[in-house]
Amino acid sequence: MDPLAELKQTFFQECEELLGALELKLQALDEGSTDPEDVNAAFRAIHSIKGGAGAFGCTELVGFAHVFEASLDHLRSGRVAVEDAPFTLFLRCADAVADLVSAARNDEPATERPDLLAALEQVGKEPQAPVAAPPPAPVAPAPAPAVPAANNDAPIGIAALGNLLAMVEAKTAAPAPAAASDDGWDDEPAASPAPAAGKPGRNVHLRIMPEPDLFRRVIEPRVVLGSLPADDIISIRCDLSQVPPLESIDVSDCWMRFDVDLRTELSVEDLHGRFDFSLANEEFEISFPEPEAVIEVPQAVEAPAAEPEVSSAVAADLSAILAKLGAAPEAASEPDIQPAPAPVAVAAPVVAAEPAVARAAPRAPAAPDNSGRQRQAVSVRVDLDRIDKLMNLVGEIVITQSMLVECVRSLPYDVHAKTAEGMLTLSRQTRELQDHVMAVRAQPVKAVFQRMPRLVRELAQTLGKEVRLVLEGENTEVDKTIIEELADPLTHMIRNSMDHGLETPDERVAAGKPREGTIKLIAEHRAGRIVISVTDDGRGIGRDRLLAKARSRGLVGADERLQPEEIDQLIFAAGLSTAEVISDVSGRGVGMDVVRRNVESLGGRISVDSEPGRGCKFTLALPLTLAVLEGMVIRCGDDRYVIPIASVIETQHLASTPIERLPFGQEVLRWRGEVTPLYRLGDVMGSMGQTHENIVIIAETERGNNVGIAVDEIVGQQQVVVKSLEANYGAVNGASAATILGDGLVALILDIDSMLRLAATGNRPPQSDLKMAG
Amino acid sequence: MTLQLGEKHFSSAQPESAARRIVTFKVGDRTFGIDVGMVREIKGWQATTPLPHAAPHVRGVLNLRGVILAVYDLRTAIGLGATEATATHVIVVVDVEDKTAGLLVDSVSDIVDVPVSAVRPAPDLERDEHGLIEGLVLLDTDIVALLDLAAVIRDGGAEAQIKTSRAA
Repeated sequence: MDPLAELKQTFFQECEELLGALELKLQALDEGSTDPEDVNAAFRAIHSIKGGAGAFGCTELVGFAHVFEASLDHLRSGRVAVEDAPFTLFLRCADAVADLVSAARNDEPATERPDLLAALEQVGKEPQAPVAAPPPAPVAPAPAPAVPAANNDAPIGIAALGNLLAMVEAKTAAPAPAAASDDGWDDEPAASPAPAAGKPGRNVHLRIMPEPDLFRRVIEPRVVLGSLPADDIISIRCDLSQVPPLESIDVSDCWMRFDVDLRTELSVEDLHGRFDFSLANEEFEISFPEPEAVIEVPQAVEAPAAEPEVSSAVAADLSAILAKLGAAPEAASEPDIQPAPAPVAVAAPVVAAEPAVARAAPRAPAAPDNSGRQRQAVSVRVDLDRIDKLMNLVGEIVITQSMLVECVRSLPYDVHAKTAEGMLTLSRQTRELQDHVMAVRAQPVKAVFQRMPRLVRELAQTLGKEVRLVLEGENTEVDKTIIEELADPLTHMIRNSMDHGLETPDERVAAGKPREGTIKLIAEHRAGRIVISVTDDGRGIGRDRLLAKARSRGLVGADERLQPEEIDQLIFAAGLSTAEVISDVSGRGVGMDVVRRNVESLGGRISVDSEPGRGCKFTLALPLTLAVLEGMVIRCGDDRYVIPIASVIETQHLASTPIERLPFGQEVLRWRGEVTPLYRLGDVMGSMGQTHENIVIIAETERGNNVGIAVDEIVGQQQVVVKSLEANYGAVNGASAATILGDGLVALILDIDSMLRLAATGNRPPQSDLKMAG
Repeated sequence: MTLQLGEKHFSSAQPESAARRIVTFKVGDRTFGIDVGMVREIKGWQATTPLPHAAPHVRGVLNLRGVILAVYDLRTAIGLGATEATATHVIVVVDVEDKTAGLLVDSVSDIVDVPVSAVRPAPDLERDEHGLIEGLVLLDTDIVALLDLAAVIRDGGAEAQIKTSRAA
């Protein structure tokens, strides 16, 4: 792939994250959050998308994002109260942006959304608001370094890089900016035309205060300054007063501040536009000095040096001047009136006065800030493949380590004693290493959850239902392998609840429920598993219809009597759909049975609880990872196997539990008063060598039944690395995968259900689903 | 005891496509061959873990540096019973289709270059019901049976399990 295409791809990936963040924040705001950070985060997300889209020439996206951004900005500036903001509209717009992104990604023509655009344009058009005015410069911005970068958490990266590209293009298109001399930004007001008093336009002072993360956003000052028209620049000065002492400096931080004097015809809005791609609104201030001051200022700063001491002195001078400016009320009224001068003019004195305060002790604030500075949340993108390799290697180390332990044990005692402690440390460290690698792979389920609100919104519209989606536990972390597998089951479960579970608003009202149905999507860790539940407050499962359907399909015998709970489980049977009208959404009967099969193939289980008239709850339990599992190593004859601990309920001596036989020869034992079938592992799996079963393991099947499995010996319990058998061989009946034990030999990881099928059918491939459906 | 074969070395050493470079190995007194390019490495016998109800010639699975692969007993595949594996027996690790597999043989004998013209199609052998033999190469001393590895391995998969279950 050529680099640009690759970059573009990364941008689209980033867009997904940004869209997710945008949606979550909007959602939070919609639900009553008044946290200004939510507004800011939403704004930044759309801003970053716009920036990158501009760089990659996605014009439709830029256009839409721009209008969207503008209306969000009204919230940010407080022109529109958060409580009054049309978040439903914003959410729909977020969906539209997502559509535009995916259109751009697939090179498809974008769908125009004039309706949304028009609606967005209306936002903030209240009579008291100046029409489409840019936000005023922040009235009292705190000195930049004291505040940790406001956009710390905004995923920037490629979007910003895209900005850079755009800027570079813009720069090459424009006449080379005067300021782009290679020796930096310090001394002379670059070789631009002298401050032509006669030049049309007005004097503008720009204070540029990039956040320290500027370089990390892949923006450099040259790019920022280069976006100003070179001919308009009177002077550029670099203020190094914020630079921390050498010993605490982080070279990737930008501590430079710039003061730029311009004589320009550009409006405030135009100036904002110039920095759109490179700076956040907090990062620059625009003020209008008195005409005379323009001449004075460059003189005052005639010799700013690289030495911070000097420059701070200069800065102090400058601040005095600026303070004077601020004090002069005339400064506020700029004769050359622009369309929307009011907010700016009011803000100007304050803005001008502020640096004086900030610079009174230029060094003092810098030092403590620096030491106590919040670490930037730095993240890297790593190919999953690399992590897998790392994981593999760690697995190998774990094996080697347990092999070493065995070796050491056979050494003479005095040698053994010396090494034992080291071995213990090694084993702890390897375990820790493994945990850390696993943690690297772990991701919050948010990645999947955040796709759901949109699904719900769209379905609600299609189905004509009113639904509120409640997400809980989005930060619950699971291994990447599981995350990837979650989306489909969750989508199906939510579809099912929306389509079959929830009633239409009128039906709900008639049933004495609120018009709006609620679906709760909750994730939590429980007993080493992740449990995700989808709960709706709809009508519950229609048992009569479900049963009738199952009977007509021959899944349930005509005279078979089923418990209500058993009927509910029929929802997972293949080919059953009780929707009266087959809709686009679900209802072809290929929903829940597919979900069940997928979930089970991951070693998970799914269940349903329904209360007629009250609602329905699907519960999905999955292992936290597919890469390692906690297993019980057992021996049978000459062979060893691993049973996932998750399946084991209890172990006991076979001698203490009398074995009985049913008429057809099936061995059973009584366990906790229940008749539990007993299987001899050696017989089922065809173990080599002579078996002497001493132990019975009571295990649980996916459907919650208990079985006894007779084995010779329990060797131990350990975490095992799951290795695929399919990769180089094929599916093995009775086993889900394999692992490598301490001596380097392979052991099969038993799959209880598959084993039982093997026992029931003898040596035949797994049965199709029909059998399991009943 | 592991011998790594630098396959690239071999293939580049022989630019003319008119010749095939073949690894030959023995099972009993019979000689078999496969293209050198399919051979990933040759290692000494190592205990395998049997798979339940697999085809008879599937010896089981072993761990090759963290990857699990199945080992097929060539002796069983050609109908001569199971190999009594000892430390002197050899597993030829091969890449076939997109899988890695091990072939249990008695010993590796040679690497020979044979002109493509010297490869004869396999005579229609009634005893080779699975079509394991792809062709024959006549050497001065030996007849080398070129193996269709895919056929050897395919019969270890699910298909063979069905077959054996029907037979049972």
